[in-house]
Amino acid sequence: MTPLIEGQPRNARLLPRFLLFGLAVLLVLSTLTARLFYLQIASGGYYQGRATANMTVLQPIPSSRGLILDRAGRSLVVNVPSFAVKIRPADLPYSQRDQVVARLSRLLALTTTQINETIDSNPGSNFDLVRIASDVPEDVARLISEEHLALPGVQVVTEARRDYLYGPLVSQILGYTGPINADQLRRLQRQGYLPDDVLGQAGLEAQYEAQLRGTYGAEEVERDASGRQIQVLATPTQPQAGDTLQLSIDVKTQEQAQRALQWGIQAAGLKKGVVIVMNPQTGEILAMVSLPTYDDNLFARGISNADYQKLIGDPNQPLLNHAIGEIYPPGSTYKLVTGSAVLADGKLTPTETLNTYPYLMLGNYRFNDWNGAGFGPLNIVGAYAQSSDTFFYQAAALVGIDRLAYWAHQFGFGAPTGIDLPGEAAGIVPSNQWKLQTFGQAIFPGETYLAGIGQGYDAVTPIELLDAYCALANGGKLWAPQLVHQILGPTGEVVQTFQPKLRWQLKISPAILATMREAAREAVVIRHTGNVVDMPLYVAGKTGTAEFGTRKIGGHLPFHSWFVGFVSPSGDFAKTDSQLAILAFAYDTSRSIGNVATEVVKYFLQLHYGIKQDYRNLFLIRPGAGN
Amino acid sequence: MGAIRLQQDRLKWASQTAVAAWSAFDVQLVIYAGLLAGMGLVMAYTNSYEAGVSPLSAGSTFTRGLVWAALAIVAFLVAAAFDYRWLKTFAWPLYCINIGLLAVSLAIGSGVGGSARWVTIFGMQFQFSELAKVLMAVVLANWISSREAQVGGLFTILGALALVVPPIILVALQPDLGTSLVFGAMLVGTLFISGASLRWLVVLGAGTVAAIPFAWTYLLRDYQKQRLISFLDPTADPQGSGFHVIQSMIAVGSGGFLGKGLTNGTQNQLDFLPVQSTDFVFSVLAEELGLVGAVVVFLLFAALIWRVLLAAWRSEDTFGLAFAGAIASMLLFQVLVNVGMTIGIMPVTGIPLPFITHGGASLISIALGLGVLQSINLRQVRPKW
Repeated sequence: MTPLIEGQPRNARLLPRFLLFGLAVLLVLSTLTARLFYLQIASGGYYQGRATANMTVLQPIPSSRGLILDRAGRSLVVNVPSFAVKIRPADLPYSQRDQVVARLSRLLALTTTQINETIDSNPGSNFDLVRIASDVPEDVARLISEEHLALPGVQVVTEARRDYLYGPLVSQILGYTGPINADQLRRLQRQGYLPDDVLGQAGLEAQYEAQLRGTYGAEEVERDASGRQIQVLATPTQPQAGDTLQLSIDVKTQEQAQRALQWGIQAAGLKKGVVIVMNPQTGEILAMVSLPTYDDNLFARGISNADYQKLIGDPNQPLLNHAIGEIYPPGSTYKLVTGSAVLADGKLTPTETLNTYPYLMLGNYRFNDWNGAGFGPLNIVGAYAQSSDTFFYQAAALVGIDRLAYWAHQFGFGAPTGIDLPGEAAGIVPSNQWKLQTFGQAIFPGETYLAGIGQGYDAVTPIELLDAYCALANGGKLWAPQLVHQILGPTGEVVQTFQPKLRWQLKISPAILATMREAAREAVVIRHTGNVVDMPLYVAGKTGTAEFGTRKIGGHLPFHSWFVGFVSPSGDFAKTDSQLAILAFAYDTSRSIGNVATEVVKYFLQLHYGIKQDYRNLFLIRPGAGN
Repeated sequence: MGAIRLQQDRLKWASQTAVAAWSAFDVQLVIYAGLLAGMGLVMAYTNSYEAGVSPLSAGSTFTRGLVWAALAIVAFLVAAAFDYRWLKTFAWPLYCINIGLLAVSLAIGSGVGGSARWVTIFGMQFQFSELAKVLMAVVLANWISSREAQVGGLFTILGALALVVPPIILVALQPDLGTSLVFGAMLVGTLFISGASLRWLVVLGAGTVAAIPFAWTYLLRDYQKQRLISFLDPTADPQGSGFHVIQSMIAVGSGGFLGKGLTNGTQNQLDFLPVQSTDFVFSVLAEELGLVGAVVVFLLFAALIWRVLLAAWRSEDTFGLAFAGAIASMLLFQVLVNVGMTIGIMPVTGIPLPFITHGGASLISIALGLGVLQSINLRQVRPKW
């Protein structure tokens, strides 16, 4: 046997090369080992941290949104489970996007443009989920889940959706929830709002968002490279359910108000109408109806573009709560301010009289009384009851525009009432300063006349007007109206009891207010408000009409009518114990039917107090009336 | 009696032959290769878990690995039994087959992202470029042995270059830059071991370096450039081509000294690692078995290369010397580039880690190569009688 170790003759020559090759092997393997030592031992802790960060993510757990109950504890909204379809753009390869969007558009009955726009207008980053559709039917949701391999980046999530049990009846009050937009996200991100979050977008849902939302929890989730959840590792914070709102509104009262107004709208061909019922002792709203309205469930389910355009395009603005969001001339109801002002400033005593005329002349301008004849000498009670325009022209002139504005502000006009709803408008109270700022000139004397009878520049929201009459009824307390009676915690305990919110006490002597209450009762008693006096109730109140809007073909402007008043439990109007004040507003009484608002109020009172006899009357036709 | 005597002689001859063959058979080479292949099966097992199927179910990475291992053993035994000297006769036909297979791959092959690397035979994907490495070793060894007398001349180098360039181009067109580089490494390695002119080898190397700017501009595709750029700075595009390298380094680094344990690698099991049963298999190994597992694998490779070089040292003819040199170069280069890629010191290429990377072509080709090597070992010594 040849000893193998000796090798071949050429090996002497090749030995250095074998050694060099062996050295290269050693060099390569020791370099790799050194690098591994650096990565695994020297930097091991760092990379372990990176690996852990890779696989775990802190994920929010949505809280259960608080409920809304009516005064009697009836549920107005509940949370129901529903499916939403979301996309994480980072997980949707660009090359497959068209195909995925096309498939989704067929399944979800959306256009590809809509889906693409939704993805592109995503307020968050590419790694945040984008909501494509809410309240997806279960079969579609299941189909999308099953096709997840063909639909990369698409996720079906179960979430709670708001179900508004009374729909349009309380839509204007409750509002609705909807997906967060980019502006809101910027504002609320620090408070833990997520790019695909849902929040209150209108009404009480928006106003009480902080209370209703509750507190989101957090869980540590193990996930894989594509973001799929593998398991929940820990739950450092549990979600806390939101608080429940119990409203001052009673669904029954609300239904009576809606029924009365709907009847009036149909009978008189109105375009818009408002009824507000309030407790003058507390400022609590008992009913608030604004018609036309909408169904907030449309929004909670993810409103379709067609439905939304229809609501937006309606000239009567069903999305607007006309009770608080729009201003109109108050007409004769404003004589409360002029009357109180002329007494409070000492320009007249309650018993002093002014003569009234068919009309007053100011330069070449003629200012008519509404009956075209005048009423002879009248004191404040008589003038208010008869609603004599020439009396109040003179009263306004005695007080002067700026003092009249002062007293209007005292009654809360020209500023939001502070009701707990978003979107409240403020009325207009003309004064020299206001007119200088707005038009660059001072008030003309004729404008003071008009301001005295609630025409001209005067404009109020219905809630401002009712709030002022509540102050009249309760002896001068001007409330911030409230819709929420109390707030309950998730387990039903009261976390916030009801506190009336006093804006201020009117700087008017109780005696003057008593005189004005007497005047308001007198207006009913002398049948200026028709047969209201015949009802088995003690009602005081004032009607008003004003021309407003664009002139119609027939020559007259579309005009609207008001009734605002309150019910005395005892019939003694020197007392301030009224528990119910009501306002009705009817816009565009184009059929020239008398005071539709009064008819609506009568119908509501009949329904509310269970009065069997029907006092409604639709034959009072007073064309061109200016009472 | 004569008959009995003859029979006894035959018995003696047979036993002497068997003893001699056994003494010449390199058991260590088989042991190291077997341990590495076993490590490959372990990785196939853990990656079966990752794929979410039972490792023992039909068609899992692990069971397919077992099938490949069995075929590799057969390939090894056949190649070892076959007298390697016949290969010299078959060298040119083998070269033609080699070129033909690579051309077929290019024509009908399929792969990731429009590449043409795999050919499907009987439902099994086969990467001919792996087989081409061993065939190239045969062809190169044949050429160098034919130049035995003037091995130090320039023509040795030029001839070898002429043989290697066509397959390099065919593979690069697939495009598979990594395998082209393996061919280059084998060329240089076998010329070096066989005693080719160092001076001309240096010139060849300098020429290659000089050609890099040209190749960058005209030959490399965008994705290849991107990979090279991301190798130079993986953080430049962390969500793009640098992502794999960063995730691989996280996997390796988080493995620590002892690793996270088999099937416990979070980077692997949660899919943060790309192609974890093939290109990035070493990341899984380092994550789950730690520095200890990696060093064991390195030691096995070192031992295996030592045995391959020993076969070269012992070989009586230049063919054996050059063939062993080519196989040793191939192993060393693939370990360097594949492992280096997973730990961020080499660019990302599709070069498999011998034995460990899951894949029949790679394993069977290496088994064939080692079988030929064993055949070389066996046939260096004649029993004396």
